[in-house]
This record gives sequence, structure tokens and C-alpha cells, in this order.
Amino acid sequence: MTASDTRPARRYRPPGQLGGRGPIGGQAKRRLTIAGFLLPALAILVLFVFWPMLSALRLSFTDASGFGQEEFIGLDNYVEVFSDPNILRAMGNTVLYTVMFTPLAVILALVLAMALNSPRLPLRGMFRTWLFLPFIVSLAVAAFAWQYLLDPQVGLVNYWLQTFGIRIGNVLQDPVLAMPTVVVVAVWKNFAFYMIVFLAGLQDIPSSLYEAAKMDGAGPWSRFRNITLPLLNNTTGFVLIIATIAALQAFDQIYVMTGGGPYRSTQTVVMQIYQSGFKDLELGFASALSYVLLVATLILSLVQFFFTGRREKDTA
Amino acid sequence: MKKLLAATALLAVAGLGLAACSSSDSGDTAGGPVTLTFWHGYTEADGDVLQGIVDDFNASQSEVTIEPEVKTWAVIDDTLLTALSADEGPDIVAMPAERLPVYASKGAFRDLTDFYASDDSNTAELNPQAVDMETVDGTVYGVPTGFVPLAVYYNKALFAAAGVTEFPTTWDEWVAAAEKLTVDENGDGTPEQYGMVLPDHATVANGVWPSLFYGNGGDIVEDGTTAVIDSPENAETLEYWSDAVATKKISPTGVDGVGADELFSSGKVAMTIGGPWMSSIAAENSIDYGIAAIPAGPAEQAASAIGVSMGITAQAGDAEAAAAETFFSYFFEPEVATAWSLGSGWPPLRTDIPAADVESNPTVAALTEISGTSRALLPGVVNSSDVLTEMDVVTQKALAGDDIASLLKDAQTAIQTTLDDQ
Amino acid sequence: MTALDMRRRLRTVGSGLFFVAMLIVGLLVLLPIIIIVLTAFKPVAEVNAFPPSLLPSDWTLDNFTRIFTELPFARLILNSFVFAGGVTLCALVFDSLAAYVLARIDFKGSRVLLLIIVASLMIPFQATLIPIYQLVADFGWVNTFWGLIIPRAADAFGIFFLRQFFLSLPRDLDNAARIDGASEFRIFRSVVLPNAVPALLTLGIYTFVNNWNDLLWPLVFTTKQEMGTITSGLTLLTGPSGIVPYGVMMAGSLIAVVPLAIMFLFVQRRFIESVASTGLK
Repeated sequence: MTASDTRPARRYRPPGQLGGRGPIGGQAKRRLTIAGFLLPALAILVLFVFWPMLSALRLSFTDASGFGQEEFIGLDNYVEVFSDPNILRAMGNTVLYTVMFTPLAVILALVLAMALNSPRLPLRGMFRTWLFLPFIVSLAVAAFAWQYLLDPQVGLVNYWLQTFGIRIGNVLQDPVLAMPTVVVVAVWKNFAFYMIVFLAGLQDIPSSLYEAAKMDGAGPWSRFRNITLPLLNNTTGFVLIIATIAALQAFDQIYVMTGGGPYRSTQTVVMQIYQSGFKDLELGFASALSYVLLVATLILSLVQFFFTGRREKDTA
Repeated sequence: MKKLLAATALLAVAGLGLAACSSSDSGDTAGGPVTLTFWHGYTEADGDVLQGIVDDFNASQSEVTIEPEVKTWAVIDDTLLTALSADEGPDIVAMPAERLPVYASKGAFRDLTDFYASDDSNTAELNPQAVDMETVDGTVYGVPTGFVPLAVYYNKALFAAAGVTEFPTTWDEWVAAAEKLTVDENGDGTPEQYGMVLPDHATVANGVWPSLFYGNGGDIVEDGTTAVIDSPENAETLEYWSDAVATKKISPTGVDGVGADELFSSGKVAMTIGGPWMSSIAAENSIDYGIAAIPAGPAEQAASAIGVSMGITAQAGDAEAAAAETFFSYFFEPEVATAWSLGSGWPPLRTDIPAADVESNPTVAALTEISGTSRALLPGVVNSSDVLTEMDVVTQKALAGDDIASLLKDAQTAIQTTLDDQ
Repeated sequence: MTALDMRRRLRTVGSGLFFVAMLIVGLLVLLPIIIIVLTAFKPVAEVNAFPPSLLPSDWTLDNFTRIFTELPFARLILNSFVFAGGVTLCALVFDSLAAYVLARIDFKGSRVLLLIIVASLMIPFQATLIPIYQLVADFGWVNTFWGLIIPRAADAFGIFFLRQFFLSLPRDLDNAARIDGASEFRIFRSVVLPNAVPALLTLGIYTFVNNWNDLLWPLVFTTKQEMGTITSGLTLLTGPSGIVPYGVMMAGSLIAVVPLAIMFLFVQRRFIESVASTGLK
């Protein structure tokens, strides 16, 4: 018996409507059940996520350094965020990074997930583990390996490109190439997780759908467009949102590999938050910048939500 | 699910057990001996010497016990703020000297003016340039644990191979020697061996370019409040060196301080500007090295110093502060200061220690000889990290061939804004 | 040659090409990791040597022995397991409970709650680190496993992730159980969770790996070396001026990554099995 026999083809019913209010009984009991399920997670989140966020919001209106005294200074920090050219530059860099990283990582992850899901690929299990390796290596170590590979004198990448007559030189110190380079490293480091998520989504698509489409004479592209994409919609939406959030918070490999340079060309907003908060000890300002980032991310995500939601309706 | 819950419970118990056996002593009973935590970043042989000094101090009296916690300098910088925010920080902390002013300006350190004024603090003979690093707006917030001029470390084997017998003493000689030491065997325009490595950003202790600026009579900030980077002297300096790198190819480009150290240790460059640790790195890589002062510029012979400071944090109470001061005085006793110098490879912090006393360590002897040329980096500048970022932009772009006049002008504005902000 | 033969042959050629293409992609992806492995076996002087060599000319285990002599390695590994394992187990339990309610039960305010939870992912952790630390310090949890684990015992990402997955499970299953009079917890435990094994494994791996490799968190919440993790412990090997003894570093991280790789190997097999078994429900 295959999955398609018991499952309806379209399983993405909007949440709600059917759940809850069943024969279980009184409102009070229902409320109690909901509270019981939510309580442990919410207790942790309230204490260690929401409360710190509120603290940061309060700090963003002060000149706090993190210790000692602090004074309420109103919107000064926010005014500075939008008037300091270095901060504006960092925002531009973050946008550039996100525009490069998100599509690259998501598309690569989807393509490889489809390859790993194909029954025609021998040794699938090996490939899955293999391609997942970048994700489990710690970034500090991976950054070393990349620097070694990219080294202008001794690196293999330069050596190989030279045989094709391409000289890229010291990419990490090149104001134009440094950003694409840190993006590539981030894609390498992160695609595997998105790939696994896609893989889980793909494995939920009943193969009988593809077989039926094949019988109707649908080619690979049309099968991808009409079956894979629509049925992966939930997964894609999720991956897009987490990839965008990850991109907007780019920090780790930039901190290790370029430190924001050369000439601030890889200085992202979160690098700037770190610099302001932990180097200049201006926690209030760093908090304000964090909230600007939060609002920007939120708007972007809502737009994405809106679009994927719309697509869902179209394809239904 | 049941298994999960059981495992969670088991883990919680295990966690409790492990936590219990590691968090035992922390209470300091009133009146009794004072226990002080001391964070520092001396992770190498110098760390063992420091531990020895602390052990001797702890054994020498029964009032104060110092408990060092070794981290790297970078880790101290990344975690100190958080620890201080909840009064969980150390009582004494050592950090790179240019990081002290920003912490001091936010009230992280106790004022040490009275300590310096007292006769038995052993601070009267300290190198005044080193004490300069501890001063913000006229108040001293720390004591030096290290102060050493940047110096040129050179590869003797490569010097011999190129027939360079005298170490250069002026910029022109320096460049000439570097040219001789640069080898492009296959003539592809990319030398296989470089005469020197001139990093263009994040240089060793950020001091390479300040040293060169001083050499031509220039500076970056005056009195901790006025930007003076846009000067004809500095423009000359930048032109001189970017020309030497671009046309004579004496140095690889785009290298940072750590990269410079690595290039020298791989034997690929003949000269590097570095700190005392280059001795052990060179030895580890079996490189026969020499130490020399940075050659004199047209105006003077000067070297930016690498400094390390330690201070008493504001979370230390009066009793702890007094105890910490006892330790500082001990640290500066002539014999201890000499032992620290010999063990760490850094010149003595006291100016009255005779050269003969440190002869046994050739690195210390060589560095002590040239320590008269050293100058503190950006003393009293609170936002030094922002100033240094601006300086990096200038040097990096200048070496890439950008217009120096406009670079300096932009940096001047940016640095002045930063200084006015603090 | 019949048309069928032709098609079969094309298929094998296609499969072969596909396999070769994946092999190339795999090798490219693996390249940095190969460098890590090879560097771990190089003598100190050879790591920075010029001209460089990919293979060590002189294979050595010195880097590995140095790790064990310079760091309390066994203790650090144990700490890593307790920390990453503790966070993962707690988060899986708490996140799945919350995600179940958010995905399967319609209640007033659930969308708003979800929005708040997702929004909390959008603030960089650098901004909330200090308030979190102050709280942990207030509880007296600095330098304890509580301080390392409890703040992460539930996380917005996990809730969001599991909720998305729970949404895609067919509702007929729990509705049938509900009509039979099963309690919500029973539906959660016997209907939803068994069908969510791939998602739980994926999230488990994600959480474990991220915490295992996390650097700043253990550095901030533990000041004593014996409470550190393997990742935070390795930073101690960095020399003055930031020179990293790469060989030792690579050796250390190689040892650190082995448990993760084994875990993934095990999990990815379970992963396929469980997905295969969902076909039977």
C-alpha cells in the first residue's frame, strides 16, 4: 500500500477549523490542555527570549554600555543609525549579502535534495552523509580551510583558475570579490541543512503522482513545476524565511575571514552591532541597530509570507 | 517520547552532579584572606612564568590569594563586557593596552591615582611611556604588564644568501636591502621570495603604520583629542611605501599582521615587523633570526609599542582593590620584574634594571636596547578601535593605488568625528 | 537493437552521468574538509611551508597528542556532550509540545503567538546576550550546566520548524483519534510524534550540531576551563598576536567532529527508514 492510497493529494489545509472544539468537552479543560502544552516552552521563551528582547528595547533608548550607569536619551540612537554613513553602508552590505546568499543557497539545496531523492542515484545514503559534512564542521575550522584554499600564493583555487588563464588574486582582500567570497563560504556551510529539510519535504510527495503525470505525457520540467514545487510550498516558504533570517544576520564567517574588511566592504549590520556593542561598549546603540534589523527582517518576512501564501492559493 | 523524557531527566541529574563538583569555592569571607580572580591572555611560556609569579606571591603572604584564569586576549575582549554586566567578572584583568581606555571611560576600572602616589607601590621607576598607556583624561586606570617596541625580525640565512651583511639603518637602505632580498626567479612579475612583508591592515598590534608615520614626523591623534592624520608628512610616508611596494615589489600585498608572521615563519620573506613572540615562532620553524630596530625615517627613529595593561575592575570592593594593589606592588619589585621580563621575553617594565641582568635572554637584551624608541599607541583614545579601522582603510587603499591626499582627508574627518563622539 | 534495449541503455548511461556529476559536486564540497584532515597530520613546520603541499610529506600524530597534553580533552568532550545533548533533548520535548498546539489546535491568539515566536528569531543574539547573561547570573547559574542549557531548553526556531512539519501531516489521523475520545496528549504522543520522526531527527541534528560547535555561548557562560566545551577549549591554543597552530586546531576539530559524523550516519539511516514506514500508516 502506498501513501497516496490513504492520503489526499492536497494536504495543505489551512490550520484550524477542524481542530479543538470537538467532543473533548468544556472550554476550561481545553484551555488547560493548551496551556499545558505551551507552558514549558513559553516559560523558557518568556524568560530567556522575550524578556531579554524587551530589555534590549529599553536599552536602545539609553546610552548604556552594559555595566555601570545609563541614561535615557530618547531616540538619539535611532537618529544616529540613520545618519551615520558607516551604518548605512553596513545596511547596504547586508542587503547585498542577502540578495546573493538566499537564492543561491536555497536553489542549490533544492537541486541537490532532488538529486539525493532520486532513486536513480546509486549510494544515496553515502552522498547524503557526504554532502551533510560541511554543516557539522565548526565554522572557525572551515574558515581556515577556505583561507588556505583561497590563498593567493599557495591556494588551490588560484592555482586551478590560473590553468584556465584566470587570475583572481587575493579575493578576501579585494573590495569587490570579498563579499561574494564570504557568501560562497556561507552557502557551502549552510546549504546542507536546507537540503535536508527539502529532502524531508520531497519524501512526503507520493511517487504515484509523478507516475500518473508521466502517463499523461508530462516532461521533467512540467512535473517539477506542477507537482514538486506546489507540494513543496510549505517547505520552500520555511526554508526561504530561515535562509533570509540567516543572511540578514550574517556574522560568523565574516568575523573570522575578513573582519568586515577590506575597507568595510564586508561589514554587515550584525558585524556593526558586534563592533558597537562589544568593542566600543555602546550597548544602547547596538540595541537600537538590532531593533532596526528586526523590523526590516519582519517586513521582509511578511512580504515573503504574503507571496508564498498567494502562490499556495493559485496552485490549489 | 518516554525514552526522551527519561534521557532528559538523566541528563539533568548528570548535569547537576558535574556542576556540583566544579562549583565549590567562591565565597570570600569577611575579614579572612581575600581571593581575587585574575583574567589574562598569556597562553604560552609566558603564562607559566606568570603562574609562577602568582604562586610565589600567594605563598609569600596569607592575606591574598590570586586565582588566574587563562583565556586568549580575543576571548577576554569578547566576554569581559558580559561578565561585568552581571558583576561576574574578574577582580583583575589584563588586556591589550589600546583596549583599556574604552573600558575605563565606561567606568569598568578603579582609579589607581592613589596607588601610583604611594611610595611602596614600586611604580616610580616604571617606563613613563608605558604608564602613558594607562592614562585616560589624566587619570591612571591600570598598570603595564608589557611594553615593547615593534622591531624588525630578519632571516639570517636569506640575508647571507643575498649578500646583505649590514642591517639597514635608514628607510632608503631598508628598501634597498629589501629589493636585494626579493627574488623573482621565473620572471613572471610575482616574486617567490620577498625582501619584507609590509602588512596593509590589522598589522601587528596595529603598530606598523604608526611606526612609519612617526619616522617621518607624523602622527595620528594628538593629546587623545585631535586628529592629525592628514599631514604632508603622512602623505609622504604613504607615497614612499606604496611606491616601494608597487614598483619595487619588495612586499606582498593585502597581508595582515597574522599573515605577515606566517609568511616570515614559512621562510618566504626576509624581514617582518613583529613582537617578541616572533622569536619562539622563528625557532619553532627552525629559522635563524636576528632582531633589529625599525630603521630610522627621515625625521626620527621611532617604533609603536605593543602594550598590555592590567587593571582592577569596578566590581572589586575596597578590600579586593587593596589586595590587588599588593599584588601589583609585588609584580613590580625589581627581582620579580626581572624574572617576568626574562620569562616572557619582553623588556623590563622598570627603567632601572641594568642591562646585564637581562643579558641571559638574547631577545630581551636586543629589545631592551631599542626600547628607548618606543611610543605608546593612541594613548588616552577611547574609541581606538574605530580610529584604527579608519587608519586601516587609508593604508589599504593607499597601497592599492588610491589617491592619498583624498584618503587622508576623509580619514581626518572620520577620526575627528570619532574623537568628538567619545 | 530494439527500442527497449536502447532506452535501457540510455538509462544506464544517464545514471552513470548522474552519478559522476554528483561525485564531482561531492568532491568540490568535500575539498575544504580534505584540507582539514590532511593538515591535522602535518608536522608544525609544514603547515605554513612554502611551496605548500596538499599531502603531508611526513605523516605525524603529534598534533593529536598535543591536544591531549595541553587540554583536559576528555572533560571538554564530556562537557560538550552534556551541553549539546541536554539542549537538544530539552528542546525536542518542549518545542514539539508547543508546536503541536500551534499547528493542530485552533485557539484564539495562536497566530499572534506564532508571529511573536518567529519574530524573536529576527533579533541578532548579540543584542540579547547581555540581558540573558544577567538573568543567568541572577539565578546563580554562571559556570554551571544549568546556565548553559536552560536558556536554550526551548527555542523559537524549533517550534517554528516543527509547527511547519506538523501542519503537513494529514488531519484525518488525529480527528479519528479525537472522535474515539483520545486526549490531546495521547494524540500528540501516539499519532503525531511517530509520524514526525524525520522532522524530529532533523531538528535534533540541527540543534546538537549548532550547540556542539557554538563558540561564544560556552565562552560567555563558563569562565572556568573545566566547564568549557571542546569548541571553546580549542581557542586556548591560539598564540599571541592571533597565530593559530593550525595542525593542532585541525586535529582537535577532527576529533570533535567524529561524534557528529557518526551520529548523522546513524540518523540518516533512521531517517530513510522512518520515511519509508510512513507509507504504511
